[in-house]
Amino acid sequence: MATLQIEKLTKTFPAHSKGGRPVRAIQDISFAMSGQVFVSLVGPSGCGKSTLLNIVSGVDSPSTGTVTVTQDGKKARLGYVFQDSRLLPWRTVMQNMLYVSDLPEEEARSNASKYLEMVGLGHAHEMFPGQLSGGMQQRVGIARAFSVSPDLLLMDEPFSHLDAITARSLREELQVMWNATKKTVLFVTHDVMEAVQLSNRIITLAHGGTVFDDTTVELPFPRKASDPEFAAQQAELLGRFETMELERTAAKG
Amino acid sequence: MSAATMSNPPGFTGRTVRRALRSSWGARVTSYVAFLIAWQLVGISFFRVPTPWETLDFIWREVSGGDHGGVRPGQFWEHFSATVPRFAIGISAAFVIGVIGGLAIGSFSFVRALLSDVLLVFLALPAIIWAFLTVMWFGLGWEAPVYTVILSAAPFVAVNVAQGVRAVSPELRRMSDAFGVPRNRRIRSMLLPAITGYLFTGLRFAVIIGWNAVLLAEWFGAVDGVGWRARLWYDAARYKGFVGWAIIFIVFIFLLDGLVLSPLQRRAFRWRASPTSDLDAEVGAVDMESFTNTARGL
Ligand SMILES: Nc1ncnc2c1ncn2[C@@H]1O[C@H](COP(=O)(O)OP(=O)(O)OP(=O)(O)O)[C@@H](O)[C@H]1O
Ligand SMILES: [Mg+2]
Repeated sequence: MATLQIEKLTKTFPAHSKGGRPVRAIQDISFAMSGQVFVSLVGPSGCGKSTLLNIVSGVDSPSTGTVTVTQDGKKARLGYVFQDSRLLPWRTVMQNMLYVSDLPEEEARSNASKYLEMVGLGHAHEMFPGQLSGGMQQRVGIARAFSVSPDLLLMDEPFSHLDAITARSLREELQVMWNATKKTVLFVTHDVMEAVQLSNRIITLAHGGTVFDDTTVELPFPRKASDPEFAAQQAELLGRFETMELERTAAKG
Repeated sequence: MSAATMSNPPGFTGRTVRRALRSSWGARVTSYVAFLIAWQLVGISFFRVPTPWETLDFIWREVSGGDHGGVRPGQFWEHFSATVPRFAIGISAAFVIGVIGGLAIGSFSFVRALLSDVLLVFLALPAIIWAFLTVMWFGLGWEAPVYTVILSAAPFVAVNVAQGVRAVSPELRRMSDAFGVPRNRRIRSMLLPAITGYLFTGLRFAVIIGWNAVLLAEWFGAVDGVGWRARLWYDAARYKGFVGWAIIFIVFIFLLDGLVLSPLQRRAFRWRASPTSDLDAEVGAVDMESFTNTARGL
């Protein structure tokens, strides 16, 4: 079971220019998550969500505090879905899948086929990314992250570049995939509805990079936005957001 | 088929001729024909300019080993086969050195700091300087042409490769970081394909500059080879011989580009979904302005 533990994390980026001020992207964040959970991280733009994910994935390092990801005591394997698909344009879909995998060749291949099938691209193994639509490319990106058999799956606004209809069908596919695999997922979004639809738990960050709120969502899957309970959850979260904004403007004076 | 096209049957009408002339193929043929006519006129008017026919006749004699008015028999293959290995060895070495140097300059800022000025000096030095220097160092023989090619062509490969490395998308780098892709796979699958376009630009520069270099070095510093042979005709004041060789040089570069480099490049860019006809304009074409900027940017 994968466990992610974040303790007293801060991240300050050095000033861009001489005389500029250093940017405090994250200011004292602590939380932990473990096992078969889908956790969404929501919050306004610039509150440090991507930075947090980059630190968890090891691409960035924390300024202070610790982030540990373990899998039964060992170092965990990570999968990552980006905002854009980030495929190698000169490699076929299958080659792109194999590029990121450290599994033995045969297993990597069968995993890749399995997840490409799941996202409806079983026919596209030999195609190049340039021959796929944006939505299809993002599907490959999702399949790629699942196919490395990650213990922890990180997703950074994977649907925000897509049109509403494509985003919706991909969201549904993701829900099916999660229910089939029950990976430990940390999912970043600024869309509250998306968070309510997909997650068991929603962590809200405030401006300046602190945890503002931490809620569990108990609704059964599959969830429908038309369901009154769904709507109620969503309304409640949005209400808290408004409070946050009000407090912020009040604090500014 | 619509009525309009039916009423205008295909044939050699004025319109089709005009259209053929305007097509890129037609325009090309037209420009060649115009050039030949102009050349013929100049050749008839000035006795120091051979006509196209005289020149062609010379090239034929040179290539077929026929005699040049009883003086010297044609020796094209003898000299050509002396030059090509020099050129090939020089270009290959320049390519390898340029790629390694370019990767280092593009990847490590201290190497860049160390070498960028040196590189600029090398880029600015004309091949003729190298030709003289290498003749001074090695005397007459095969060494001067080979080293002249390496010294003048390698910097052009290096500068392009370095530019390519620096242009590799940071998003793809971060993706590779996030998945922990091992280094050698990253070089093979991300870095090298990403710089292929730059590699071809570098290679084309290298070929053109290297060819110039080998001719120059042979002109001054060899006892055989096509450059030496061209000089022979020049020294003998046989203008058609000199012009004939100049044309052979140009034809060689055209053939090399059309039969080797372009097909290689098309193969390397198979992944492009819709290969456009101006692929060459996009990648790998020799673009002097971007080159100067590249040199400055380093
Ligand atoms: N490499 C960097 N150098 C300097 N500042 C950075 C860097 N990366 C992020 N920042 C700053 O850190 C803050 C948080 O950025 P981050 O990208 O994590 O926000 P986000 O919550 O993901 O926003 P969005 O929802 O718009 O993606 C911003 O103020 C940003 O300008
Ligand atoms: Mg972000």
